[in-house]
Amino acid sequence: MIRLDALDPRRWPLAVRVPLIVAVLVAGVALATGQAVLSRLARDQERHLSELASAFLDGLATAVQPAAARADIWEAFDALDRARARYGALRPMLFAVLLPDGTVLASAEPRSIPSGTRLAAALAAQADAAAAAGRPVLDADAATAVLARDLAEGDVPVGRIVAQADIGPLLAERRAVVRTLVLANGAFALVFAAAGVLLVRHLLAPADLVRRRLTEAARSGRPVPVDETVGIGPEHAALLAAWNQAAAASAEREAMAARLAKEERHAQVGRLAAAMAHEVNNPLGGLITAVDTLSDHGDDPEVRAEALGLLRRGLGDIRNVVRAGLATWRGAASTVALAAQDFDDLRLLVRHEVARRGLTLDWRNELSGEVAVDRTLARQVALNLLLNAATASPPHGTLRFRASELHGGGAVVEVTDAGPGLPPAVEALLHARDGPPPEDGGLGLWTAVRLVRSLGGRIVRLPSDTGTRLVAELPAAPAPMEAVHAL
Amino acid sequence: MKAPWLIGRRALLATAAAGPVHAAAPVRFGLTPVFLDSDLALLRDLGRHLEAALGSPVQLVKRRTYQEIVAMLLAGQLDAAWICGFPYVRHADRLSLLAVPLHRGRPLYQSYLIADASLDVSSIDDLRGHSHAFSDPDSNSGFLVTRWLLSARHERPEGFFNRPFFAYGHRNVLRAVGAGLADSGSVDGYVWETVADREPAVTAGTRVVAHSEWHGFPPICCLSESRDGPAARGLAAALLEMRESESGQRVLETLRLDGFVSAEPALYDSIARMAAEVGART
Repeated sequence: MIRLDALDPRRWPLAVRVPLIVAVLVAGVALATGQAVLSRLARDQERHLSELASAFLDGLATAVQPAAARADIWEAFDALDRARARYGALRPMLFAVLLPDGTVLASAEPRSIPSGTRLAAALAAQADAAAAAGRPVLDADAATAVLARDLAEGDVPVGRIVAQADIGPLLAERRAVVRTLVLANGAFALVFAAAGVLLVRHLLAPADLVRRRLTEAARSGRPVPVDETVGIGPEHAALLAAWNQAAAASAEREAMAARLAKEERHAQVGRLAAAMAHEVNNPLGGLITAVDTLSDHGDDPEVRAEALGLLRRGLGDIRNVVRAGLATWRGAASTVALAAQDFDDLRLLVRHEVARRGLTLDWRNELSGEVAVDRTLARQVALNLLLNAATASPPHGTLRFRASELHGGGAVVEVTDAGPGLPPAVEALLHARDGPPPEDGGLGLWTAVRLVRSLGGRIVRLPSDTGTRLVAELPAAPAPMEAVHAL
Repeated sequence: MKAPWLIGRRALLATAAAGPVHAAAPVRFGLTPVFLDSDLALLRDLGRHLEAALGSPVQLVKRRTYQEIVAMLLAGQLDAAWICGFPYVRHADRLSLLAVPLHRGRPLYQSYLIADASLDVSSIDDLRGHSHAFSDPDSNSGFLVTRWLLSARHERPEGFFNRPFFAYGHRNVLRAVGAGLADSGSVDGYVWETVADREPAVTAGTRVVAHSEWHGFPPICCLSESRDGPAARGLAAALLEMRESESGQRVLETLRLDGFVSAEPALYDSIARMAAEVGART
């Protein structure tokens, strides 16, 4: 369905509007000049006809006036009959000599206008007008011109010559001129419009190029320079040069930002490493002490339990610190493709946690072959989701894992727990574009979300009857698989 | 047929007997529409033939009406003239016959009453109320015969016909009737036949309604007082021997005539009788 506003000429492209304007202007000029030509042609034809008629009437009057004065039928007819052959250019259809009383003395066509009769009223009226005006009276509908000349001997009228000429050829000539003008001007308008299309497209090519680059830049966020040689004239050259300068400045700013970001990340890594070293070092003393205690007094169940609890907590702290570090920084992405075995390893890794919590693991790994997904990141995503699910599930609950291939390439990881569901703050992590890691839980999900986004995928929560059902879509990377900086 | 070298011998002898014709005084020969005087090529050939036969210039004189030519002839302004039998009988006391044409072997011709071919008429009586074209008031075939027919009915042309007029030439009468200017016309039968033969388009629109009696063919006449003059004798001899020369035969062929012969005034008695009857009835 055509939108109505698309019919508004103001919304039409310049490449259409300008040629149309050119065509309309050409047609307007052609119409004006055509009118002038036709008007001049009509005047010339009428002047020519009038001159021809005057010469015709002069010659005929000389020949028939004595006959009219004597009312000599034969002499009048003879003069008319001879004149018909001599004035072919006038194309007389009929002509007659009238007596002063209006009756026909003789006509060149006696069978249609016999002597002694009167002319038809319409023809007689036209003859009266022509005689009074001294020039032909034209009847365009009938394609005739009526001529008339009064004959007199001194002040005494002796008759009148009346002729009816065929002006069909004159009118046909006008129609032919009109046809020629219409065809020629139409052709000119089309030619100029076509030339206008090409010219305008040629003139607008640089501007159109900049427009396309702007559209692309708006989509990609990265302006691409253009070839300045396509510019026409100083205006377009300046436009293209300005665009290229803007693109260069943007690229320079982007490079600078990337460099600053890299430096900042390195600085953060340094601080994180220092903090991790500090955090790991903190419990180390206690842990070593606990190990010593176990070594010396391991037989005492109370002491042993206390030392083991200390060890568990200290190692837990270290594990948390390491997890935070992993979530903060990742090294160069693996270029190894993901295989089913990679997920099956995770089953072993989580087996202890699952057993410790008394959970049942429903494991379905449907990956059949390799998919072009970073295996390290994919394993980390799946492991985070599994550990989160294990943590969220109540004892004796069922933890479900399913891996399959993503339609269009990639992998899908689906983890379902038996927990009470995601808290709103944690679920918001699924939709937050950026942000710091949560301070009160949800670090694993935050990490998984960022890892999945780095792969170009997403994590969504689907409805479930038993708890939280999270699905991570890990699309395949374009081949060859690019290195990915996770964070 | 005589040998070509004999051409004009009699004419030359006649001229020599009468004395030389002065080179600066052309023979003046008057013509009327009793024949196809509108054929300029014919006139040129006739003039050349007569000049060759006479050995002197010949001036062919044409006028619009019979009356003008007859008046010039009677006034001595012409040496001879080809006139109609009607003016001849009217001025027979002053005119002499030099030669009479032979048409189809006889010095006779008829008057034709013609009409528009589209009219359903079979006699002069059917032409009452129709327009009519006469040739000339001094023409036997083009006026007198019809006038005589009407007088026998106690009619006059202007009362019997609707707007009768004179076309001053038999060929003009044919044109008038053919074009529809007149419904009917009185015309020389010889002219109608010749035009029908040479220009059938002119007579195509006409139809012969009635033929008259045979009358003496329009003669070549001169003043009786000039009958023995060199010009008249030379002309008479040239005409009488016309068929004996190639140029004369060419002229005769064009005229559709067989030649010229001498004739007696009695040849025109029928015309004189009609003229007398018409005069008596009016």
